[in-house]
Amino acid sequence: MFGITDPGIWAGYLLSFILTAACIAYGIINWKNGSEEVEDGR
Amino acid sequence: MAVDTLTFAVITLVYLIAVITLGYIGYRQTKGSDDFLVAGRRINPVVLALSYGATFISTSAIVGFGGISAQLGMGLVWLTVLCIGVGVLIAFVVFGKKTRSLGQKTGAVTYPDLLGKCYGSPFIRKISALIIIVSMPIYTAAILIGGARFIETTLSIPYDTALLAFAAVVAIYVVAGGLIAVMYTDALQGAIMFIGMTILLILTYVYLGGVMEANSALDAMAPMVPDTLAAIGMTGWASMPEFLSPIWLTMITTMVLGVGIGVLAQPQLAVRFMTVKDNRSIHRAVMVGGPFVLMMTGVAFTVGPLTNVWFMRNGGQLAVDAAGGNVDSIIPLFINSAMPDMFIVIFMLALLAAAMSTLSSLFHTMGTTIGYDLNPLSNGEKISMRPIQIGTLVMIVVSTIVAYALPANIIARATVIFMGLCAAAFIPAFAHALYSEKPSVFAAKLSIVAGAGSWFLWTAFVHVKESSVLGLSNALFGVQSVLPMPWGVVNPIVIALPVSAAALLAALFIEKNKTNKGSLNSPEKTAAEINKNGS
Repeated sequence: MFGITDPGIWAGYLLSFILTAACIAYGIINWKNGSEEVEDGR
Repeated sequence: MAVDTLTFAVITLVYLIAVITLGYIGYRQTKGSDDFLVAGRRINPVVLALSYGATFISTSAIVGFGGISAQLGMGLVWLTVLCIGVGVLIAFVVFGKKTRSLGQKTGAVTYPDLLGKCYGSPFIRKISALIIIVSMPIYTAAILIGGARFIETTLSIPYDTALLAFAAVVAIYVVAGGLIAVMYTDALQGAIMFIGMTILLILTYVYLGGVMEANSALDAMAPMVPDTLAAIGMTGWASMPEFLSPIWLTMITTMVLGVGIGVLAQPQLAVRFMTVKDNRSIHRAVMVGGPFVLMMTGVAFTVGPLTNVWFMRNGGQLAVDAAGGNVDSIIPLFINSAMPDMFIVIFMLALLAAAMSTLSSLFHTMGTTIGYDLNPLSNGEKISMRPIQIGTLVMIVVSTIVAYALPANIIARATVIFMGLCAAAFIPAFAHALYSEKPSVFAAKLSIVAGAGSWFLWTAFVHVKESSVLGLSNALFGVQSVLPMPWGVVNPIVIALPVSAAALLAALFIEKNKTNKGSLNSPEKTAAEINKNGS
């Protein structure tokens, strides 16, 4: 993948991108959640 | 360096003016100890994300670990996986939100204060503060040394002047403006780092003929792996080392797990979650934090190995040979040799920013630990800002003295030591404090003592990198490691963290049995419940 033949390396890159996308998706999905007024207690 | 020193000095001056201006804004907004300690709990999510990332990623992470990846290959990309997965996603979502809400509920303003209040135990607060105050100055001194060496080289000024000036500039805005100043300046520094690393990645691939060609060229260099490294498991720069070989164990246990997991329990990072007013800010910060950490670590661990292709094409040498065997010099040498002058300035500024952002946060955390947590006048109650500012100043002086006393080669070791000790001592007790309705003081005490104790024993008597420097094992037993290989290259965190977690679970089990037999809760435990339930 992209010139790298060892799956041990490209899997690491792939997972890095997936996790970054997960961070972005998490921020977008929860963009309006968790504001002061609607927060639950413990 | 290739670029004109005067040009760099002028741009550095402009940067310093911007930093001091942000520090001044922080100073104007700091009206009391809450502002100084937790930025008034009103920090913007983008500032939180950039500040967290810029504090987490120091110059040694870019230059040091970038250099190591130039020597050992792209396998360090797994550290990027953990930095994003654990350092951002788990840290913010699992730990961050609870830290924020409990910080607000209990009124905690520092990491030891939070632990102490969650457990209702002054002992937990003091022992956490003591661990920080013992281990953090060494790490801080290492960051200080790295920054001063970098300034010495780039601005051509004496090392002592560089060290004192570096510490003094950061001290001004940390002491005056507290955490607001620290986080505002961190955000600027984080933005500079992001720009610098983005340009570095793009130009590297452009100079090497594109992504496919550059990566393929690196893959094809596998037969050039030096015999000494091949003998201990290295297979190439674009492939993982042999499974369980000494290089694999060092890469995975020390670098990937040591740093990737260690991030969860760093006091200077955890306190940042208490600086925002609600969980919405943390959700939004995750969106910025993920890409930021990807660009910092991912670029360093990609460009590092690729420098081998560039140095092979331009001089017929491996990167580490071109750098005279000094791994820390590989990235700066590549920048100076391959990049245009203007980018050299931007990248050098990014490195200076990385050093300053980490240093300012460490100064602040140590200052609040000694001026607030270990201050007999505070006892967990609000106190005026003055003793905390004095404490910060004292710890800056102590760190500077330690920086003079430590050898230069301690930088990487000090980083690993600090992160390992924090992880082993704090992670299980921290998680228990955040997620248990009735956190057990006994379990936390046992976990912290067992984690710190086992970490120390493994560091002093087994892990060769540290035990050879400390000399205790050699003095007592005449060997650098009391256990045979491969244990000598297994990082203490891999042993001490499970020991710490097992101690916590064992203590909980013992307590549960006692409770079942009708024994009463301790007064401390009752206090913990009251604190956590807010009634």
